[in-house]
Amino acid sequence: MATEDMKKEILERLKNAVIQYDEDAAKEGADEALREGMDANDAIFNGLVSGMEEVGRLFEAQEYFVPELLMCADALYAGLDILKPHVKQLDLGLRGSVVIGTVEGDVHDIGKNIVKMMFDVAGFQVYDLGKDVPLDKFVEEQMKTHSDLVCLSAMMTTTMVGMKKVIDDLKAKNPDVKIMIGGAPVSQDIAEKWGADGYAPDANNALKDAINMISSLKKLKEEAEEKKA
Amino acid sequence: MPVHSLTSRERVLRLFTGDEIDRPPCFSGMGNVTAEGLKKFGYKFAAVHSDAKMMADSAASSYKLFGFECAVVPFDLCVEAEALGCEINVYSHVEDILYPTIKTKLINTEDEMDIQIPSDLAGRGRVPMMKEVIKLLKNDIGHDVAIGAHVLGPFTLAGQIMELNTLLKLSFKKPDKVGKLLGMLADALIVIAGEYEAAGADYITVREMGATSDVLSPRVFKSLILPYLTKIFSGLKGHNVLHICGKTNDIAVFMLESGARAISVDQKNDIAETRKKIGEKALLFGNYDPYNILVSGSQDQVRETMKGCLDNGVSAVWPGCDIWPTVPPENFHAMMDEVKKYRR
Repeated sequence: MATEDMKKEILERLKNAVIQYDEDAAKEGADEALREGMDANDAIFNGLVSGMEEVGRLFEAQEYFVPELLMCADALYAGLDILKPHVKQLDLGLRGSVVIGTVEGDVHDIGKNIVKMMFDVAGFQVYDLGKDVPLDKFVEEQMKTHSDLVCLSAMMTTTMVGMKKVIDDLKAKNPDVKIMIGGAPVSQDIAEKWGADGYAPDANNALKDAINMISSLKKLKEEAEEKKA
Repeated sequence: MPVHSLTSRERVLRLFTGDEIDRPPCFSGMGNVTAEGLKKFGYKFAAVHSDAKMMADSAASSYKLFGFECAVVPFDLCVEAEALGCEINVYSHVEDILYPTIKTKLINTEDEMDIQIPSDLAGRGRVPMMKEVIKLLKNDIGHDVAIGAHVLGPFTLAGQIMELNTLLKLSFKKPDKVGKLLGMLADALIVIAGEYEAAGADYITVREMGATSDVLSPRVFKSLILPYLTKIFSGLKGHNVLHICGKTNDIAVFMLESGARAISVDQKNDIAETRKKIGEKALLFGNYDPYNILVSGSQDQVRETMKGCLDNGVSAVWPGCDIWPTVPPENFHAMMDEVKKYRR
């Protein structure tokens, strides 16, 4: 079993691997965490996700831009792919499944993929419909999977208006489903007017929102563990 | 020439040449088709992209219906990529308005970046059709109204023909390789824009929205994007505009350094600050929100916004992106009226 110091050192390495977009270091860190018998959840949340939190700050401070963000995401996935098979399922009292995609007419999926990454990290079942997704497909997939969350992304004003139709359809068929919309043209005003439950205007905000969500999951997880202890 | 009797075309051209004008024009360098215009002819949006007469009719209608001071083509952003060999999707099965997109990329990985620009570029895809559209527009309303055309910037075009994730990461990891591609694309864009100019376009807008500071750092903009924009503007013969949307306050000065005659920014730009930075003389176009104001705002909001743009020092009232087709006619009229009655 790893000593506390060694654990701290491995977490720090995982965190820095994400911040410095170093895929190899992320893989090595993840392997080592497993070798030392560390809890995979711990390595993900307190290593990789901590790194992503710092990346979010760097993005907000305009030290990092989208290319850096994409490379950091690659590093996170490099570590996550190794750690994920070893995650012990925790019952968080959430169903945790999400349908996500970029609406028809829009072929931009970077923002969508960043949000998807955070759902992956959180252990959600993610139904990724990809980009340029026909509007009816979102409703169909939600009905089929009974997902509690649907995330719609559009980068262009010219495609954003399609989201309203999806929101109306979803709410009509399943009033309980939560809907999050994202993309450059989206505003608080539009989210409210169209009846979306949440919104994120850019990758940074999407990342922040997703991190907030993960942080509250982290709390739930800690509470669950305390109860067990 | 007495400045109180200018036609819209004269007003726009005199703005570019720096001659005296009665008031800033209200025009655009990006798509300006409206649902009202399409309705007038009974055209479906998905059909107008590939028919010269339909496109020319639709483009002219914003002047004819509302007095908008230009006609601009094309309406979509795929002409250049299509000429380079990409297939496009016009969404003919969809009743709503969806703009064409690229179906398949030419470049998916780093190894595929050594592409050849076809030597017969001017005859490929819809480039010949676009020349025909410009000629039709010149004959129809070209005496009274300036005719504009737009091309993408090299980086934005690279994003159309190449897997975007790969392009963005390589622009950080291997800027030399990306730079080489941008240089080739700049040459291709000079050819296409040159065809539009030869067909009679009064001004060309280069749209480089992929290089907005929401995506790329101002540092990378300066080192990787600016050299190829400069290349394009030195290759254009007529009046021209550089448009970038999103965050642009930190790159507005670089945008002018590209040699563009005018720069265009969207509603995310603090335009009063930009005006201070670039000085009184530089041509600065902007910057109302074409959806949240022009389409979904009230007439009063439209008027306030246009007045705000002018108070903040724009040289022309101009949208942050394409005019979104479902603009309510009364909002379009309110915009034109507000700009026409404004006095500094």
